[in-house]
Amino acid sequence: MTSPTLPKLIGARIKRREDPRLIQGRGTYVDDIKLAGMLHMAFKRSDIAHGRIVSIDTSAAEAMEGVECVLTGAQLAEFLGPMPILTPFPAPPHYAVATDTVRYAGEPVAVVVATDRYVARDAADAIQVEFDPLPVVVDPDRALAGDPAVLHPDLTNILGQTGSNIALYVPAGTGFDPVAGTVDNSAIDAAFANAEVVISQRMWNQRLVPNAMEPRGVVAHWEPGKDTLTVWSSTQNPHTARNTFCGLLGLGQDQVRVIAPEVGGGFGAKINIYGEDYVACAVSRRLGLPVKWIEDRSEAFVATTHGRDIVADLEIAAKRDGTILGLRVKLIADIGAYEMLLTALVPTLTNGMLSGVYDIPAIRSELYEVFTNKTPTDAYRGAGRPEGIYFVERGIDMLARELGMDPGELRRKNFIKPDKFPFMTQAGNQYDSGNYEAALDLALKNANWEGLKRERDAARAEGRVVGLGMSFYVEICGIGGWEHASVTVHADGRITATTGTSPHGQGHETTFSTLLSGQFGVPADRITIVHGDTAMVKAGNGTLGSRSQVSGGTAIMNAGEKVKGRMAEFAAFMLGAEAEAKADELEFVDGRIQLAGTPSIGKTFEEVAAFAYMGAGNAAGAGMGYPEGGAGLTDEAFWEPAGATFPFGCHIAMVEVDRDTGELAVKKLVAIDDCGTVVNPLIVEGQVHGGLAQGIGQALLEGAVYDEDGQLLTGSFMDYAMPRASDLPRFELDKTTTVSPHTPLGTKGIGEAGTIGSTPCIVNAAVDALSPFGVTHLDMPLRPELLWRIIQGGAQ
Amino acid sequence: MDIAGTHQFAAPRAAVWEAMLDPASLQAAMPGCETMDPTGEDAYAITIKVGIAAIKGTYSGTVRVADQVEGESYRLVVSGQGKPGKVNGDATMTLSDAAGGTLVTYRGDVHAQGAIARLGNRLIGGAAKLMIGQFFKGMEAEVTRRAG
Repeated sequence: MTSPTLPKLIGARIKRREDPRLIQGRGTYVDDIKLAGMLHMAFKRSDIAHGRIVSIDTSAAEAMEGVECVLTGAQLAEFLGPMPILTPFPAPPHYAVATDTVRYAGEPVAVVVATDRYVARDAADAIQVEFDPLPVVVDPDRALAGDPAVLHPDLTNILGQTGSNIALYVPAGTGFDPVAGTVDNSAIDAAFANAEVVISQRMWNQRLVPNAMEPRGVVAHWEPGKDTLTVWSSTQNPHTARNTFCGLLGLGQDQVRVIAPEVGGGFGAKINIYGEDYVACAVSRRLGLPVKWIEDRSEAFVATTHGRDIVADLEIAAKRDGTILGLRVKLIADIGAYEMLLTALVPTLTNGMLSGVYDIPAIRSELYEVFTNKTPTDAYRGAGRPEGIYFVERGIDMLARELGMDPGELRRKNFIKPDKFPFMTQAGNQYDSGNYEAALDLALKNANWEGLKRERDAARAEGRVVGLGMSFYVEICGIGGWEHASVTVHADGRITATTGTSPHGQGHETTFSTLLSGQFGVPADRITIVHGDTAMVKAGNGTLGSRSQVSGGTAIMNAGEKVKGRMAEFAAFMLGAEAEAKADELEFVDGRIQLAGTPSIGKTFEEVAAFAYMGAGNAAGAGMGYPEGGAGLTDEAFWEPAGATFPFGCHIAMVEVDRDTGELAVKKLVAIDDCGTVVNPLIVEGQVHGGLAQGIGQALLEGAVYDEDGQLLTGSFMDYAMPRASDLPRFELDKTTTVSPHTPLGTKGIGEAGTIGSTPCIVNAAVDALSPFGVTHLDMPLRPELLWRIIQGGAQ
Repeated sequence: MDIAGTHQFAAPRAAVWEAMLDPASLQAAMPGCETMDPTGEDAYAITIKVGIAAIKGTYSGTVRVADQVEGESYRLVVSGQGKPGKVNGDATMTLSDAAGGTLVTYRGDVHAQGAIARLGNRLIGGAAKLMIGQFFKGMEAEVTRRAG
């Protein structure tokens, strides 16, 4: 691997080049794609959460003017098999449209294809479905016991059980041998036997609806004359989409092109390839016409995967001096009715995060994933890590309260010390680098922690309900395998680079053009970053898991370094006669390629670029006078980090609860985030801001609430409360920098960080505020009603 | 969702009972009821038009009268399917003598499915209350009309 030159522009606050077009409404989203002869799809969805399909009457829909065809799940299944997933565990068959049984309210039962979107929708409403209802499973504890029904009676799960709702069982921690599958509990049992204090709490990291600003959408265009399929999809990973389309439709990867135009957010939910996407492809191929489907907001609440929803029974064993001896957790993840692309994987990441930033000598966790009659879950910003960190950080906070210790000092006592990295936790992850004390010290200083304590105590003395909270997170980034990039310097000196990390709002074009600008010494406005098109980007793994800078950025720089080296050879060749310069003594500065120390000996970037394509003195490009290797300035690189990166941070919040209304106001929020080297602070801060907002949303407002019949009661923005600017304080951000040994620039990843740290921080602060009322734990969301009842002296 | 309440009629219990179980009166009193056709003993197919916000639409379904205890109580089981989803209601009506007339006590529950549950759930309680109010008002007029 070549070692990229550290760009000079690292650390510069460069504005996002994407914003002008997005703010001015000039972006092109999937719904903006309009093709001649394009048909529109609408799905008839189940109103009930569990039942057998007795009959589907499509006659009224088919009779409507403009309806091309109506297909039931059984009819579709004749030419479209069950959907693929990427996890290796046993999973039930899952058809894009239910064939005989529905297992959640909102599951598709038929599709209408019509000349107009509104006709399609009216026709879907005209379809009559008769169900034979089955008992509905909504409670994960009861689901575990197969009560009152089993969703997939034919599935034999990883434990060899048939007729169970357990989709997956995964133990982890000290004494677990993943190869033999055996568990030795002696260490964890000894930890609890020696404990002077034990904290024990059940807590729930509730189910969330991702709610990207742009709902999902797909346009599929099969061209019969060419046997090719072009798909526009609002996706985070067009290459994965292409590959799964090929797999299910029996097409070659050269026959399918997937384009992700502007993608208006995804938060992990657009990693999935959904039933509607497969149906659009299959129907377009069958009819030989382009087909469009755009999810409406109401559909998105039930048709797009949900996030989180894990219950933890957590126990911490400790000594009275605050030394943590062991941690024992039973996790039940309510994954909903089916397994999507990565559904089963996400909660296993929770298992791996249970050591947090602490040196915990013994950990035992047991994860059960259970089927219920709800929308399936999958990745949602943080994907398994926020859940794990939430449980640990709530537990640590309870321990501090129990011991009467300052929560910062208890954390400090148990931190993994800086000289112990790389550190293998008992939860099974090897952390690359960390300096947790530095982040804690900066957070305490920036927040004026001791001053805040006095402020809180003074407020309490006045009868106000005020609390302080702290959280410390660590997370896994850079997962998701290799990433690919290509860089081309054109004959006019402009640059095109491609990346396989397909953005959905992260500002890749800005960050990656900055990297190349520094690398080549030319202004960023001469560089175009191409992404989100499998015909233009050879390979990729998408944007997920905070991997784009770590893996995508490094791949871009490595491809750039190869082209740069070649360009230096051209320049040396051009300069050879007059200076006998060698390629490795040339520097790329301010649009020139020149001899280090003697800038007068050099050529302009454009001169060298032109020479590389046209040869010396031959504008027609006949190819005379090239150095060995021939014409052209283009190259590519695959790159994969040697290991995952583990960014971390410390968040501190002060909250106040209104005694009369129960409303909680976040008065102060200090966030220290250490994501290694920061390329563009504006983009990093933007990611942190969005993350904090989403994390606070989970703590205070959001929740997918189901009734006993499996109906989603919070199915619109009237009932599902999203955070707004008025719910948020001014964020006080700062950073420490602990570089990763796994990346050339020392970057670690920042996309999910804010979401992970803020949620437990806010809940810890709220519990502190309500501790005078005897509160030791609260389950989210911390709705005003809940807090008001506590303050009024009622039961929780 | 549970629903419960009372309505006071200024008429003797027998008159109220007869009116409340008379299909013609039932249809006249049921708000938005467009058709009501018998499908069996004490069972009817109905179409009802509802004009309340998110649950607006025409619903087709069934009404069934069950568990009759002459002059005292019966169950009214209603089910309606419309574009926004399905609504099921099940209520027990109990009649008792009260000063100056008859007291009808109802107790039951309403369940919604589909988009109506997601979008209209918070309205269903209010809508049910409104429609029950209209129903009893209509039934009062029927009792008066029948008394001639």
